[in-house]
Amino acid sequence: MRVGNQANTILEIRGLTKLFGGLLALDSVDLSLQTGEIRALIGPNGSGKTTLLNLVSGVYTPTRGSVFFKDQSVANKRPHLLVKEGMKRTFQNARLFRDLTVLENVMIGLHGQTRGGLAGIVLSLPGIKKEEGMICDQAAEALQFVGLHGQAKALARNLPYGQQRLLEIARALISNPSLLLLDEPAAGMNPSETSDLVSLLDRIRQRGTTIFLVEHDMNLVMEISDVVTVLNFGRKIAEGSPTEIQNNEEVIQAYLGKKARYA
Amino acid sequence: MPLKKGLPAKALFYPMVAIALAALPMIIRSNYWIGTVNLAIIYSIAVLGLNIILGLTGQLNIAQAAFWGIGAYTAALLNTRLGWPFWATFLVAPPTAAAFGVILGFPTLRLSGRYLAMATIGFGIIINLILHNWKEFTGGVDGIPGIGAPVLGPLKFSTNASFYYLALVCLILAALTQVRIKNSRMGRAFRAIKDNELAAELSGVDTFKYRVVAFALCSAYGGLAGQLFAHRTKYVSAETFFIDMSILFICMLMIGGAGSVAGSIVGASLLTFIPEWLRFLQGPWAMAIFGLAIVVIMIFMPTGLAGLVKSIGSKMVMRLWPDAHQEPAELPRKASH
Amino acid sequence: MFDATTLAQFLVSGLAMGSVYALIALSFALLYKAVGILNFAVGESVMVPAFIVVILLTALKLPFLPAYLMIIAVMVVFGAVFQRTVYHPLRGRPFISVLVSTIGASLFLRNTSLLVFGADPRVSPGLFPVQSVNFFGVFVPPQYLLIITTLIVLVVFQYWLFEKTLLGKKMQATAQDRDMARLLGIPVDRIILITFIYAAILGGIAAILLAPIFYVTSDMGFMFALKAFASSIAGGLGSIPGAIVGGLFIGVVELFCAAYISATYKDVFAFIILIAVLLLRPQGFFGEKVAEKV
Repeated sequence: MRVGNQANTILEIRGLTKLFGGLLALDSVDLSLQTGEIRALIGPNGSGKTTLLNLVSGVYTPTRGSVFFKDQSVANKRPHLLVKEGMKRTFQNARLFRDLTVLENVMIGLHGQTRGGLAGIVLSLPGIKKEEGMICDQAAEALQFVGLHGQAKALARNLPYGQQRLLEIARALISNPSLLLLDEPAAGMNPSETSDLVSLLDRIRQRGTTIFLVEHDMNLVMEISDVVTVLNFGRKIAEGSPTEIQNNEEVIQAYLGKKARYA
Repeated sequence: MPLKKGLPAKALFYPMVAIALAALPMIIRSNYWIGTVNLAIIYSIAVLGLNIILGLTGQLNIAQAAFWGIGAYTAALLNTRLGWPFWATFLVAPPTAAAFGVILGFPTLRLSGRYLAMATIGFGIIINLILHNWKEFTGGVDGIPGIGAPVLGPLKFSTNASFYYLALVCLILAALTQVRIKNSRMGRAFRAIKDNELAAELSGVDTFKYRVVAFALCSAYGGLAGQLFAHRTKYVSAETFFIDMSILFICMLMIGGAGSVAGSIVGASLLTFIPEWLRFLQGPWAMAIFGLAIVVIMIFMPTGLAGLVKSIGSKMVMRLWPDAHQEPAELPRKASH
Repeated sequence: MFDATTLAQFLVSGLAMGSVYALIALSFALLYKAVGILNFAVGESVMVPAFIVVILLTALKLPFLPAYLMIIAVMVVFGAVFQRTVYHPLRGRPFISVLVSTIGASLFLRNTSLLVFGADPRVSPGLFPVQSVNFFGVFVPPQYLLIITTLIVLVVFQYWLFEKTLLGKKMQATAQDRDMARLLGIPVDRIILITFIYAAILGGIAAILLAPIFYVTSDMGFMFALKAFASSIAGGLGSIPGAIVGGLFIGVVELFCAAYISATYKDVFAFIILIAVLLLRPQGFFGEKVAEKV
């Protein structure tokens, strides 16, 4: 699949390194993401994938190296500012607001793009009411997009697991992010749910959102990604199209260990 | 209320309550009990403030009595030393308390849970000790006597009954304000922070800003309660504003139902009246029973009274209107109460 | 005023007071570490045995040793009852529910003791016939030396308990990872009960040491509880050695500040330290930064 014909580089990572005490979680990783791409980040457990997402989204600060989102450094920016600039993410363990309704969960996703302040709220000004209506409508739209529309009034904690993951995605999508970071979106999904996820990701891409996903489900990765980056022990060991990665010796070794060669 | 097309019940409920509230001083003739009602109203306002920071935003604040005290002392000082009238202290006391709320909320942003609780305890104690010991400014142990009754133009609220109306108006405004906040974008942000602070931040909520705002709102409410308290009792002394009261406020909130506006008021009222009813028992008996009651309530009513009412209420609805459970076809514009 | 003898005297006094704080902080920290709760009633676990000590020694005129042993026995019961009523029914609940419950317990105990023992401050007879002894050239009340010695003995005992006995290791395991401990066959509920009892006994020991030098009143527990919080935080909330060091630190600093800066504001210093620690180094001297798994 084409990888953006000289569209902008939406995400640029250079020499990204992260040390936790003595543990080297990420070691000089370079990565360049083009607008409109679907990029998968794979690697064995502990290879640093989630750490990378956390560094990109501003949750951690790098020990060395830099991250540029839309040509601007993310250094010293608190995560909510990056959200305002168009970056959204989901989490490995579906961090939903469990005591809020499904609809409210999605509505929060638009918080960074709205302004309603204390004065307006207390005085119940018409501008506030209008904004609430708009937020509500957009939330309904987002829910429809992921197929959760019928669950709007349910409490998030009561949703089955697969739908919780979808809810998280809806919350991320409501603000029309330019970059969507997904941390193992298919975890815990059955094959039918996974295939729905594939078409959902495709529809998201068609809306113009760049997708960067961390994933273990190889079928999903192979089917949807334009480019695959492979990490092992915090270092990038391979990068290329899905087919190239599938046949890459080093990648196979990383996953299966040397014994596989002699199996 | 979760009633389908609930027009009949709603139409009756609110006017009935309004009439009952307006007529209260005529129904309860005893000056002493009206005075207790006034105290309950003042406490309700303080607990409403606590509801914002603790009930909605989930931050442990064990210093509400300090802000209550700051509001009271501000009103007392301005009124007795500078002769400021009620409406002026009314405008200044809450923001002053709010400023202290920011002073507490801002540096403690990195803290959470137990650490935050500790910091608020420490803050409350320091404030109390300063109020207690800074003789020149706060009168020290003697406190500040001689605060004037509230005067608004031609209206002088010098009796318990007249003060009741003043306090009631303040409570209604305070409660309404909070309902609006709770159902707004800001309220959602607070609740998101309580639920999962990291996810809130990553959804675009400036969690630092909102935590400080929550502290400021909480302490503003506390300051308002304090200002009313000063003009009501006409005398302030530091020992009132001790951590005991902060804890009592928290108990009022937990028992009434953290997160609920009505619950805050109910909890505050209940815990004002019950000790008074128990006053016929000698002092320590009342408090001992009270302490025991707190433990029992914590064990058997985790969501407080509001939670209890809600679950009874929804069970009642299901029984009376079995069809009421259908989802409306279009999505509502507001989140529920 | 700044000569060596005075300074040494202050130091010993501060260490003595600090040892008491350390004991109470230890009780507090143990419960925090083992069960994750903030026990607001920790002061009452000192106040109640203090009253009983006074009663046993003055009204019943028991000799010291049997009286002290009875206190320990009483505290075993106290700890068990406390655990069963205040903590156990709430063990799955959010942290604040347990906190409020301990607050209720504290209120109950404070007022019940007021009803039972009355409002007059009580005094306990001292262990020692002399007011002060000559300790390396410094004149100190022997009770202070007893307090400091007791702390040392207790620290050694506790080290032995936790590191060298099976029970102690089980307690540590339960504190670190309750589910894992359960999987390993450790009777977690019983270990928690034992921890509560041990914490209560610590309160009893603090009471025994305190009673001869402090007026015993029904609200004495409160300030001690607050100083225990402050000590635990200063030393590091999850840390046992931290509680001890924190207690000693606050005892000494408080005393010196009261002596050289202001006696009126004596109680403030502990809380200034508390706030300073929370702002500058929330994990205290020995605490570990707990990183949240993202």
